[in-house]
Amino acid sequence: MGKATGFLEYERKAVTSRAPLERIRDYSEFHPPLNMDERKRQAARCMNCGVPFCQSGENFGGGYSGCPLHNLIPEWNDEIYNGNWKVALKRLLKTNNFPEFTGRVCPALCEAACTCGMDGESVTVHDNELTIIEKGFENGWITPRIPKVRSGKKVAVIGSGPSGLAVADQLNQRGHTVTVFEKNNRPGGLLMYGIPNMKLEKSVIDRRVKLMEEEGIEFRTSVNVGIDISAAELEKEYDAVVLCVGSGKARDITVPGREGEGVYYAVDYLTASTKFVTGQTESPAITAKEKDVVVIGGGDTGNDCVGTAIRQGCRSVIQLEMMPKPPVKRTADNPWPQWPRVLKTDYGQQESIAVFGNDPRRYETTVKEIIRDENGNMTGINTVRLSRSVDKDTGRVQMTEIQGSEEFVPCQLLLIAAGFVGCEDYISESFGVETGARGTILSEDAHYATGVSKLFTAGDAHRGQSLVVWAIAEGRACAKEVDEFLMGYTNMI
Amino acid sequence: MGISTLQSYQSAQIFEAVGINRKVIDKYFTNTVSPVEGIGLEEISEGVEWRHSHAFDPLELGLDESADSVGSHKLRSGVNAEDHMYNPRTIIALRDATQSGSYEKFKEYSAMVDDERKPHTLRGLLDFVYDENGGIPLEEVEPASEIVKRFKTGAMSYGSISEEAHTTLAIAMNRLGGKSNSGEGGEDTSRFGTEKNSAIKQVASGRFGVTSAYLCSAQDIQIKMAQGAKPGEGGHLPGKKVYPWIAKTRCSTPGVALISPPPHHDIYSIEDLAQLIYDLKNANTDARISVKLVSEAGVGTIAAGVAKAGAEVVLISGFDGGTGAAPKSSIQNAGLPWELGLAEAHQTLIKNGLRSRVRLETDGKLMSGRDLAIACILGAEEFGFATAPLVTMGCVMMRVCNLDTCPVGIATQNPELRCRFKGKPEYVMNFMLFIAEELREIMAKLGIRTIDELVGRTDLIRVRDKRITDRAESLDLSALLGELQPEHFREEDKYDFELDKTIDESVLVPSFAPFFKKKKPHSVNINVSSINRTLGTILGSEITKKLGSDVKEDTYTVNAFGGGGQSFGAFIPKGLTLKLTGDANDYFGKGLSGGKLTVTPEKNAGFVAKDNIIIGNVALYGATSGKAFINGIAGERFCVRNSGAVAVAEGCGDHGCEYMTGGRVAILGRTGKNFAAGMSGGIAYVLDEDHDLYLRLNKQMVSMTSVSQSHDITELKKMIEEHVRETDSAFGRKVLDNWEEYLPKFKKIIPHDYQAMTVAIAQFEETGMSHEQAQMEAFCALQK
Repeated sequence: MGKATGFLEYERKAVTSRAPLERIRDYSEFHPPLNMDERKRQAARCMNCGVPFCQSGENFGGGYSGCPLHNLIPEWNDEIYNGNWKVALKRLLKTNNFPEFTGRVCPALCEAACTCGMDGESVTVHDNELTIIEKGFENGWITPRIPKVRSGKKVAVIGSGPSGLAVADQLNQRGHTVTVFEKNNRPGGLLMYGIPNMKLEKSVIDRRVKLMEEEGIEFRTSVNVGIDISAAELEKEYDAVVLCVGSGKARDITVPGREGEGVYYAVDYLTASTKFVTGQTESPAITAKEKDVVVIGGGDTGNDCVGTAIRQGCRSVIQLEMMPKPPVKRTADNPWPQWPRVLKTDYGQQESIAVFGNDPRRYETTVKEIIRDENGNMTGINTVRLSRSVDKDTGRVQMTEIQGSEEFVPCQLLLIAAGFVGCEDYISESFGVETGARGTILSEDAHYATGVSKLFTAGDAHRGQSLVVWAIAEGRACAKEVDEFLMGYTNMI
Repeated sequence: MGISTLQSYQSAQIFEAVGINRKVIDKYFTNTVSPVEGIGLEEISEGVEWRHSHAFDPLELGLDESADSVGSHKLRSGVNAEDHMYNPRTIIALRDATQSGSYEKFKEYSAMVDDERKPHTLRGLLDFVYDENGGIPLEEVEPASEIVKRFKTGAMSYGSISEEAHTTLAIAMNRLGGKSNSGEGGEDTSRFGTEKNSAIKQVASGRFGVTSAYLCSAQDIQIKMAQGAKPGEGGHLPGKKVYPWIAKTRCSTPGVALISPPPHHDIYSIEDLAQLIYDLKNANTDARISVKLVSEAGVGTIAAGVAKAGAEVVLISGFDGGTGAAPKSSIQNAGLPWELGLAEAHQTLIKNGLRSRVRLETDGKLMSGRDLAIACILGAEEFGFATAPLVTMGCVMMRVCNLDTCPVGIATQNPELRCRFKGKPEYVMNFMLFIAEELREIMAKLGIRTIDELVGRTDLIRVRDKRITDRAESLDLSALLGELQPEHFREEDKYDFELDKTIDESVLVPSFAPFFKKKKPHSVNINVSSINRTLGTILGSEITKKLGSDVKEDTYTVNAFGGGGQSFGAFIPKGLTLKLTGDANDYFGKGLSGGKLTVTPEKNAGFVAKDNIIIGNVALYGATSGKAFINGIAGERFCVRNSGAVAVAEGCGDHGCEYMTGGRVAILGRTGKNFAAGMSGGIAYVLDEDHDLYLRLNKQMVSMTSVSQSHDITELKKMIEEHVRETDSAFGRKVLDNWEEYLPKFKKIIPHDYQAMTVAIAQFEETGMSHEQAQMEAFCALQK
């Protein structure tokens, strides 16, 4: 905080973005940082609350807000204001292993609960966090931390997404020997291939992985555990195994015409794009160039598809969203500090407005049928409008098709960004762990040990499809339990 | 603890232990009170070991060596962080429930508060003994609308909280038939007699705004002996919160911090407290006198003394909550849980046969119906809430109360923030009714119909079988539970002040009453002696109640002859003049509220008035306006906490004009030492014939100059002229007759802050601003 009256004197200023028409010409990140004086003013708006909702990570009225990592936000905001960047970095790294990831891609649960936002605009916590970590890297303050003592215990972490990386980092610093297995050719999980480069530049991931390798963590990429190497082998060689395999099973749409070319899961589409952007392929294996693109799913992944399609030179792009258009501002039944269920116009959608003149989203609409020509090529889809109703008996909200509202939309590339439904079967079967109704690997309530000895789980595999910040929180908490399992006691926080 | 130097704490044995066992206490803290037993050396060493291993890993494995953010004051979420009762979930749940008016949501909130797995409190270790037969139907229990009449909101001064917050609380409690508390900051007179009136008027050591009208507007007058959350310390309002309108209500200087002294300067013994209770009862015979004590070992004895002295309500205040703007050292480890003090007070009063004389009240983080039920069972029949009602009005526990930046417009005076205030009386009322409803549900299950029936029924609680940790098992709560002693207040046992026997009620009021209607001047002669205490106060209160605060000076005159008793002329309003021929005891003119007092020796006294002490100590304590002319020397602490009266004396004892914030004082002779300590307003003129006043002056807040400015000279001369007119002072006449010779020997004592503010206001006024605008500009300018 530094300045008690900061919130009265300074207005919120978010980072700017490069103009849409300019930034779509490349796949680079597009937020130039604010200058340091402005950043300090933004940090001065923090009120150093006696009850900091920003870091509470609590469920208020049905959803979580406040940082799940319980980042010490008021403390490092104060340090920023006073120009103590090194101290700010220390306080930040105390609770967050990878601020350079969350500072870029986190939807900012902190800002949703920020007291400044109760009657005004929240503090720019997300951007403040990114500024601290990047300054740390810039000034060379982030150097390999080599553990002084090794415990002699070996841990295998399956999956190098944010939860796996967090588990690995925590356990390595503790003194255990960690090997991370990753089925893809590069570490990072969805950070690497699920999120486009313009949102999270891949060099950022490489920078972190390199640091972790220098600190003693071994990464074995292109190894698909359960297929290339068996669960039994791992359980024999390692003292503990942690499944951070994510929630890889994508949700499908079952409509007539689904089989055939032209239909892809968003994750595969985005992976292909990133492999191209990082120079691994000459051109994207799946491309939207000169095509009419339809994205099913109005969320963040859908938006990433829109942005990617535009950069690839699509002819048109629309996004189908089943739910109604959210309100522009918080409604009375969604008050602070709950997560605001409001309309968000993200970068891809802004780009669509700039290029095509309109927001790509069509609300209360879904695909009813995929239309193919006599050669099996997709020519388009029939969409149908939906209406929201509440079941009289169960009280459940349901969306039902409106008769006669079908519309043909030309489409040669259909991307399914409808979320994920659970851990892939081959993994759970291979390790003999039970999965629950939501497809997640079961563990004791609020704990991370599975029923199988030596076996733990964390991240989306444990929690279901969620955010990077939750993955890191899970990874840290899981690591603590693994440490206690290995040593009989723990001093990790 | 009212002790000023660190050295005074050493070997003072003023600490108590909560949760350490007898063996450890006897060996290492001999004679320290430890009421509930607790942990021993084993547990203490466990704690040390834990802390050590957390800093030095036993196997030297990697450790986070940076300091943990435990959040003992400002809350932190996270592993190893302190759990607070007001945390993000409970705050939002309480606010949500009371603002939406949902009892169901309130039960969700109280379930979090009463969570068995987290006993933060002694009451969390107790369980109810429900009726085996299922209890009684809910309809048979006293209705919530009756129960809420026993509820109060805590004493949060106008000044610490905004006008909007303060009046919302008052309106809510008045509508329910409960009571809100003014706190020690005085109250705007426009609120008296309206829905915004604070039913409880507090008289704290600062005596801010305690005028006759203030006292007459009260249903309860509460003497604040201490604050539960920081016992032994006075109230504290930081300078940046003393906006011009706050200063006006408190009769002080804008921008200057207001610290209430720890002791009341008229209370140094239990007899003094009895005197003050008597004085306040005289100042408003309709009011109940309430005394606020804090939970500590020995409070039972004090409560017994207070009950004997005639208090009708005794409040035992616990250590939680309170104190939005207290210094950090006061927030933790100061004060004790109300459970201990309340049980002790209840049991001690019964032992002394005094319980039925008083109503016992308690407060300190009362958050749910369960808390109330236990409080009642331990002896309370009235209940206070402070933090909870604020949360219902929007407080989110920012803990910036001392900075004047409260973003919800509650603990601030800044108009920019006050407009954000979103509280409504309905929210506070909902809280009161909901918590009463919860209490009813518990009463039904216990088989109890009325609050009175529940008071002291310790047979209805027991210690929980499975306590949450081994350490909790080490506590012995039998002191709390005590013997079954179901006693409570009874109207017929109320203390009789025998006011009908006073000169005021038997002679003065009947004599003057016929002259009230037309405000016709009248005078009466009476003989007095020291058994006639608080003379003129009841008469004064009648004038205030029937005629208001602006009756013409000298309309009603009482000529008294003899020795004036304690509190002569206390709180008398404008229009009443008491002329005493003889001398007077302590507290002469206490709380002078516009009236006029004179005292002079008999004509043929045989001693020189100027050289002899004529009135006792602590004269004019907390005077807010009026005039006093003393033909002789005054005792110690003359004009302490004066905030507006004009007084002339011919000498005074030590600590003259201490903590003065307004008014004018002229001393025509020697002062004692430490003159003007803590003086932050008003002006004193002292005749310094030997040029040695500087030796006895406390220079920390004031400067000393000669009296050379023409308006000062005029003012001083007028004061002395009036002194001579009123008392026929021989020395006064001598000074006037030799004015040219005496004037240069006078010194003007003016506080730095007061001078800066006066000069700044004058400068802004010269630019054409109104006085109010100028005041605001000056306030802002001097804050920088």
